[in-house]
Amino acid sequence: MKRQITNLIAAGTLALSGAVAAQAQDQGVLDTIIERDSLLCTGHNGSYLGFAEVDAQGAWQGFDIEFCKALATAILGSPDKVQIIPVSWAQRFPAIQSGDIDVIIKVTGWTMTRDTELGLQYSRPYFIGPFYVMSKTELGATGIADLEGGVFCVNAGTTIERVLTDYMETKGIAYEPLAFEKGEELRAAFYAGRCDAIAGFGPFLSATRINAENPDDYEILGDVLALEPEGIVVRQGEDDFLDVINWMVSALLMAEEAGVTQANVDEMKANPPSASVERLLGVTPGVGERLGLSDDWAYNVIKTVGNYGEIYDRTVGDGSRYKLPRGLNNLWNNGGLLYPLVMD
Amino acid sequence: MQQLFASHKFRRFAIQAGFVIVAILILVSLVLTGQRNIADQGIATGFGFLERTTGWPMNFSVIEVTGRSTYARVLWAGLLNTMLVGFMTLIFATVLGLLLALMRVSTNTVMKLVGATYVEIFRNVPVILQVFFWYAILTHLPSPRAAYAMNDVIFLSNRGLMLPAPMLSASDLWLLAAALAAGTFNLWRARAKPGTGRRWALVLVSYAVLFALLLVTGRAPDAPLVSVPELKGLRYVGGITLKPEFTALLVGLVLFGASYIGEIMRGGLLSVDRGKLEAGRALGLSTFQINRFIRVPLAFRAMLPALSNQYIWLMKATTVGIAIGYPDYFAVVSTSINQSGQTMELLALLMGGFIVINYSIGFVLNTVNERIKLKGRS
Repeated sequence: MKRQITNLIAAGTLALSGAVAAQAQDQGVLDTIIERDSLLCTGHNGSYLGFAEVDAQGAWQGFDIEFCKALATAILGSPDKVQIIPVSWAQRFPAIQSGDIDVIIKVTGWTMTRDTELGLQYSRPYFIGPFYVMSKTELGATGIADLEGGVFCVNAGTTIERVLTDYMETKGIAYEPLAFEKGEELRAAFYAGRCDAIAGFGPFLSATRINAENPDDYEILGDVLALEPEGIVVRQGEDDFLDVINWMVSALLMAEEAGVTQANVDEMKANPPSASVERLLGVTPGVGERLGLSDDWAYNVIKTVGNYGEIYDRTVGDGSRYKLPRGLNNLWNNGGLLYPLVMD
Repeated sequence: MQQLFASHKFRRFAIQAGFVIVAILILVSLVLTGQRNIADQGIATGFGFLERTTGWPMNFSVIEVTGRSTYARVLWAGLLNTMLVGFMTLIFATVLGLLLALMRVSTNTVMKLVGATYVEIFRNVPVILQVFFWYAILTHLPSPRAAYAMNDVIFLSNRGLMLPAPMLSASDLWLLAAALAAGTFNLWRARAKPGTGRRWALVLVSYAVLFALLLVTGRAPDAPLVSVPELKGLRYVGGITLKPEFTALLVGLVLFGASYIGEIMRGGLLSVDRGKLEAGRALGLSTFQINRFIRVPLAFRAMLPALSNQYIWLMKATTVGIAIGYPDYFAVVSTSINQSGQTMELLALLMGGFIVINYSIGFVLNTVNERIKLKGRS
């Protein structure tokens, strides 16, 4: 009898401990990261080629991973202080809400539902993702309209499902949609000929093409379905953390604009060509304190991962096997849509 | 009071009541805590999203679904897809399982060997691998333009199996249903009165003729009776298509499920007392008659409880469909979670849906079990 009662009390306490865990979250995530001395950032369940993939040595590589490293460097001073947590597309939002990850850097499109109803906050876009359609060369299609009636394969649960539906409805093109949960299955189905075309994010299509047995069998059609601005996501109310992220993205773009690279950053710091570069690299104080970081955070980031252009080139651009053109992800003065904010 | 507690009966009641109350309190506190945490994180809760349109289409569905359908309708379509593939699996797996069981208990060595080999192969490979295997085979068939054709009416390609389909309008279907109902009614009446067999056959034929006449005369001129698949551009138009996703899932589940069901049935068949079979033989019944009238009815009673379990298990196994792009309930819920972000609500719906389906199966089979139980025996 007595033991039964103690058991019941124990069970009751267990149920209430959920409330205690919730209170622990009241501390800002930026403080939590500094206290923990590591940043929990998103990877992928499998490989999202070019953005988050595991290399032959078992290390994470890719455009998004570089941004994770850059953020860890900005806050904690070292790219090794990032922990990549593999999550699927669907898991990313519950995972950030439960605190399993601190930040989502996972080509996440800025949509109204996510921004308002999921209790999330977006950084300024760090990547502009165009959606294209890739089909088999043997079908001889020059535009999406030539694929009338074909089977279009997509990734389930991503924005592309809606983008494609809208586009096809607007243009009045009949098609059969087929959605796959995992990129590997999608690719296998496309190579096998189950689909006439796949619609997706430009970089994903380009990676899919490169990985095919014979890349020349496939071609990406010129029609752009839509653009998707990708942002870095934090929990609603993490304003300080979001400030750091926004200025980190800005610093990477500013460095490219000013010609500061991984190779010449020491030289630039010793001999700054302009007052703004002086501020950026922390030669004159101010750039760190206002964000609660050290003054040389931007210097550290550039020294570790390079500027925006270098990251792009190394992971998805000409320096990588994907050879994805910069296109809209160029700086504004090179015909792109990206620009740094004003660092005064 | 002291006296009350001294009563054994009251004490037992108090402990049990107390336990139930505490269990309810824990459950309520968990729900409330969860709700508060979700509200703290600024996430919208509730089932309001069900009324919103999804914006994404479905590859395969029994009811019509477009990007403008609501979440409620899309989820319903997913549930129907699960039930479609699930119930078809149960039917086919049971038939195949029965064949396997009969092979395994037969006295013919070759039959025994074939049955045993089948069971060992299909029982020991994970169901998801089997489904992947069949899907890979189906998607590696030739493209629609180079499809295998049979008399130019049946086509097999990596887009599925295209078959001709009867073109029935809604009123035709009602007619067909009415004819079937009338036929069944007559059959049932004939059963009650022996010796009327020929008459009901006549009635049935007359219904069929009437239906055929109405079908031909009642339709619009030029409307064909049968729609035949035809290659148009990249796809086949007309007829009915068995898509590779559906077929691979069905075949994988049936072959896997049959190996388990076969073993359960074998157990049931072996549980039948040998004396009863020998009694049948002594009466001069043929092997078929012994199976039909003695062995199977008795075995059925013995295997039903284990069979219900296996049926429910198979129904849950349909969730592997998500891996090959079959939009079953699980896949649709998963996509909805990603698109709407209402994780808790959708998971509750997911669990609720499966509980309803599986509880119904369990309920029906338990009722049958109660009904056919041999009376007056322990």
